Amino acid sequence: MITALKALRKNRFKTALIFISMSVSIAAIFLISAISGGVVSMYSAMLKTDGDIIVTQRGIADTFFSDINRSWSDSIVKMEGVKEVSSLILGAAPVDPLPIVGVYGVNEGRFKNYSLVSGSYPKVGEVLLGSKIDQSLKHPETITLSKKEFHVSGVFKSKIGFEDGGVVMNLGDAGEVFHKSASIFLVSLGNLEKSDALIGQINGLNPDLEAKTTDSFIDSYNQFKIIQTSSDVIGAMAFLMGILGIVSMMSMVVNDRKAEFGIMRSLGLSSGVIITRLLSETLIIALAAFAVAWGVSEGVLELIKHADKFQGYINGEITVALLCKVFVVSVVMALVGTLLPAVYASRIDPMSLIQKGSA
Amino acid sequence: MNIEAHALEHFYGQEHVLRGVDISLKQGSFTAIVGESGSGKTTLLSILSTLLHPTKGSVAYDGKALSQVGNIDHFRRRHIGFVFQFHYLISYLSLRENVALAALGENEANIDLLLAELGIERLAKRYSDEVSGGERQRAAIARALVNRPSIVFADEPTGNLDTKNALGVYELFRRFSDEGIGFAVASHDKKIADFADTIIEMEDGIVKAIHT
Repeated sequence: MITALKALRKNRFKTALIFISMSVSIAAIFLISAISGGVVSMYSAMLKTDGDIIVTQRGIADTFFSDINRSWSDSIVKMEGVKEVSSLILGAAPVDPLPIVGVYGVNEGRFKNYSLVSGSYPKVGEVLLGSKIDQSLKHPETITLSKKEFHVSGVFKSKIGFEDGGVVMNLGDAGEVFHKSASIFLVSLGNLEKSDALIGQINGLNPDLEAKTTDSFIDSYNQFKIIQTSSDVIGAMAFLMGILGIVSMMSMVVNDRKAEFGIMRSLGLSSGVIITRLLSETLIIALAAFAVAWGVSEGVLELIKHADKFQGYINGEITVALLCKVFVVSVVMALVGTLLPAVYASRIDPMSLIQKGSA
Repeated sequence: MNIEAHALEHFYGQEHVLRGVDISLKQGSFTAIVGESGSGKTTLLSILSTLLHPTKGSVAYDGKALSQVGNIDHFRRRHIGFVFQFHYLISYLSLRENVALAALGENEANIDLLLAELGIERLAKRYSDEVSGGERQRAAIARALVNRPSIVFADEPTGNLDTKNALGVYELFRRFSDEGIGFAVASHDKKIADFADTIIEMEDGIVKAIHT
């Protein structure tokens, strides 16, 4: 360990380059995973608030495009085992001067989910603002949404960034803005064991309706899959870039230290000892890079969370699971990136020392 | 250990550098291998010391052919020491740590004693760029001797030293040779003849003469 630290200190310039390269890669993995995970968990949390079953228009790629007739909720609420049905319109529209804002049209029964900070729940022609957008718009009395003016009835606070940066309004008003009856129904059940039977019944009501348990909806939701896949691809690219950075830098390190490894070989130190020495050096760098990347990522996420520009929509969190995953990825990155140069170092022919006669 | 080399031949590409060399090195003897550049002395030394496989011929340590040694790295570490023209001390390790790098576990306790024998015990914690050329070479010799090898191979070990330090190195070799460690030293320096038991004269890849 001390020998490895001395070697790193001696080669401090290249050590610093490897450290920076690894830190950037690890921070990129942290950030993309945390941000995409945040988007998925925020939207999932919103859907899970009071829905055991989600009903959408069949075959839609995104809930924003879903259009179902609100009258079907009357039939669903009468089904045995159904406790409550909330209709929701999910949309996005410009709210001057913001180019795009999440808009949630809800029925009165669902207002209780929004914890008021000031004012009251909206009546017709009024809107309730999330605290983040209220702050961005500097506490307006009215807003212009899709060219129509609405009075602000109050402000609510939500831990879900999409809601906190969004606008809540009556279902009827939202229907006029987005020209639809409802986007989804959130069905709350008295007894979860009956969910399969109820899904069958709901699907049987109309071929346009598609019911799924909330968990199954979240698992199969295309937008989440796209976000997750994009995140995985970018994360994998950052991982590969990290490995390539280590391979190239470690190759230079090995080349600079050829005489050192040659002398070790001539002294009879085994290939395993040389490989282990180099791996331990990179592991030390990886641990330091992991710690720094973690700290930097927490800082960046905090900045993003509070940046008005993002309206609270980007709300990444580094969970313990993500921390463990990135730690393993960092160690693997260090080991894989060092292995090839280390094997090369372990095979340096000590004869080169005799023949070249220079350090 | 007695070392026997039989009918050694070696090519570097088309270049025939050893042309049938038969020699034997006795346990504890100080052998000087002399000759002009290109005479094949370094190649011979490299083959005898297990660093290079001969194109033809064989080398045996106490009658056992090197080709039959299972773990050549371990064999080299236990039985063979090296001193090169350049010291090749690792710059980020102290002189003592450089010696410890080569030491097998049971020999680590002898490092300080060995450094004292070589007169560099007070420099043990210094780094190679903090000591003189002669002191560096003494540290390199300590590294070669730390496991009390059967034989130390040295290729032009005084090539970078002044006369006084060069003579000091030969005296050390002589002293340890008298204690039973064999030395095989390739050199241009004629003064080595005053210290060696045997002088092997090489010319154009063959042994021209052996003086005892």
